[in-house]
Amino acid sequence: MMTQYELDDSGVVVIVGSGAGGGTLAHELTKRGVKVVLLEAGKHLTPDDFVNDEWGGYEMLSWLDKRTASGTWRAAKDHPFSPSWSCQVVGGTTSHWSACCYRFIEDEFRAKTLYGELPGTSLIDWPFTVADIEPYYELAEAKMGVTRTNGLPGLPANNNFKVMYAGAKALGLNISTGRHAINSIPYDGRPATIQDGFTITGDKTGSRWSTLNVEIPRALATGKLELRPQSRVTFIEHDDAGKASAVVYVDAAGVTHRQKARAVVVAGNCVESSRLLLHSKSARFPDGLANGWGHVGRHYLRHIIQTVWSIFDKPVHMHRGEIMAGMIDDYVRHDPARGFAGGYYIEMNSMGLPTTAAFLEPGWWGRDFVSVIEQYRNMAGIFMSGEDMPQPGNRITLTDELDAFGVPVANIHYDDHPNDLKLRSHGYKTLSAIHAAAGAKRSIEAPSYPASHNLGSNRMAAKAEDGVLDSNGRAWEVPNLFISDGSTFSTGGACNPTLTIVALAIRQADFMAKQMAAGEL
Amino acid sequence: MSETALPTAYKDPKMPPPVDVPEGPEWVGMLKVFDAHAAETLVSAAHTLYPHQTLPERVYRRTIVAFDALAAKMPAVAQGFAEFVDLVDGAMPVPFRELSESYRVNTLKAIEATAAFRLVQRSTVRFLYDDLEVWQAFGYEGAAVQLGGYVNRGFNDLDWLPEPPPGI
Ligand SMILES: Cc1cc2nc3c(=O)[nH]c(=O)nc-3n(C[C@H](O)[C@H](O)[C@H](O)COP(=O)(O)OP(=O)(O)OC[C@H]3O[C@@H](n4cnc5c(N)ncnc54)[C@H](O)[C@@H]3O)c2cc1C
Repeated sequence: MMTQYELDDSGVVVIVGSGAGGGTLAHELTKRGVKVVLLEAGKHLTPDDFVNDEWGGYEMLSWLDKRTASGTWRAAKDHPFSPSWSCQVVGGTTSHWSACCYRFIEDEFRAKTLYGELPGTSLIDWPFTVADIEPYYELAEAKMGVTRTNGLPGLPANNNFKVMYAGAKALGLNISTGRHAINSIPYDGRPATIQDGFTITGDKTGSRWSTLNVEIPRALATGKLELRPQSRVTFIEHDDAGKASAVVYVDAAGVTHRQKARAVVVAGNCVESSRLLLHSKSARFPDGLANGWGHVGRHYLRHIIQTVWSIFDKPVHMHRGEIMAGMIDDYVRHDPARGFAGGYYIEMNSMGLPTTAAFLEPGWWGRDFVSVIEQYRNMAGIFMSGEDMPQPGNRITLTDELDAFGVPVANIHYDDHPNDLKLRSHGYKTLSAIHAAAGAKRSIEAPSYPASHNLGSNRMAAKAEDGVLDSNGRAWEVPNLFISDGSTFSTGGACNPTLTIVALAIRQADFMAKQMAAGEL
Repeated sequence: MSETALPTAYKDPKMPPPVDVPEGPEWVGMLKVFDAHAAETLVSAAHTLYPHQTLPERVYRRTIVAFDALAAKMPAVAQGFAEFVDLVDGAMPVPFRELSESYRVNTLKAIEATAAFRLVQRSTVRFLYDDLEVWQAFGYEGAAVQLGGYVNRGFNDLDWLPEPPPGI
């Protein structure tokens, strides 16, 4: 039997969201003896529920509630009601992710210092250095079973990788299959990958780390966790002293509850976290909880993400095997000689026919499109994730339209900064050159798909006037309110964010447990 | 296209099996929302948008069967498809589905900015390329877990480029 806590038990830590941040934090806190109620909007599925089907999986796992978009980014045109991509299920987007795991490099924690004054940006340095987070990166890599750490071998080269490898070698680039929280050999009770190529629809065999298959079961086993799936949080309340005191949520039957809390942690994946804070208005916080300085929702980042799809003379069968097992790191470091700030990772990418057709160039039709997609079998994919620049106007706001729970629909505004466009163009040229060097007949520069790396909109800063949170992810203005997802990032860095989200969650658990032991939380 | 045989494509056993669509004009009888004219106009639009010469008529029909199921669930979507049919039929003195290809293409180009066009174009991509017969035709094998993935079935069988060193 799962532990159960009373709604008026004000001794529990309430975590909103069970993904990379919330699911990890739930385990790390309960392991330290802390009582936790984990509220998750989505259902609690099992591997048996998952399917090997791109659209079937998308519809089963995704956060499908409406959002709107504005600004110059392609999402506003291509995906106006789903500009951001995440999941609504126990495990959050770790039930779907492709598990690339890279660490921020030292320079990325001091972006402001390194890049200097860039007009239009709101760059800051992180409120800590790489030395502060390194021990937590190690813990995160061990728990996630990241390949090429702790003696775990890298994933083997697959067909799509062979194409990337041939191009990279011809150009003298540094390539490997990269690092992933996917087992290349059995590890931690989970099997090695069978290379089915369907991590993104749930991963039926469990060879990939997720909070659904690792953190949450272990948190439940401590006897300290109550997981409440299908519980949609709509409001965070505070007491007269300005401390978070309860969260209001709606269960599967549509019944509204109020769970009291000793501390509240919001881990809803950036957009939802900012939305919840903005909506939790009170006389004390008329612009939303913890938003006295006006930073909630601002400085939103989504990385420079894009794919080049190329056609070759012979079959590739890119859908066979782990989909992102390839990495080139020559462009990671900031190099002013390139003419822009920040760097990017080159990674492999594969998709099945259904989503390749959908994301190749939304809106493209006619004989030219047909001539490309008909050669799906001979296609290879190569991808990049690069740093985008924080801008105060790139932000999540509330619209006048209410969702089914009475919470305003969020709008995401994003204008590309000139630096973003320079990095994008540089990246496309590199990606296409790699495929050309491997013999590509034609390359298609596909635009970004909906934002999959959502960051920065409740950022940590050394000073309250620069961001929502302190260096432990605690709200400057509400001492028992924490955020534990990518929205806490002070700047975006270049790499896929989840390893850092997990490392920060472990670090936060350490901090919270110590504060509690000291009677300060 | 290369001469080698295409591998077999599979749908996940838990997904609904492909719909059987009759070969004759009576196929429209299986629709819940669209009448014969709307259905044939949408088939013609799907063909014009994505004119794959090697694909049989039935895959386009199945796409429209999927539109029809959506329309039956969502009145706003049904309305969008109806608007589309009116728009394309109103463009020329001849109904859309009787137009020559270049006139059909130009008719669609002229309405690209409309919500109705977007609905039809996006929905065609969504369903046409999610069809098992289309997967088979273009070399996408679909579901793999029920066959043990590709670990022993060719995840690294590409042999026309140099083999990367082990452990790369
Ligand atoms: C296509 C794709 C591929 C990706 N691949 C990689 C990769 O290779 N490497 C990498 O590092 N990252 C990858 N990511 C990103 C990664 O998934 C996210 O960075 C990570 O999951 C974010 O963790 P999170 O805890 O912030 O949010 P999530 O994991 O999304 O979890 C948030 C949870 O909060 C719940 N929630 C939100 N609001 C509420 C509410 N009001 N009430 C209750 N519950 C709520 C949601 O339902 C969800 O379950 C990928 C993402 C996508 C979309």
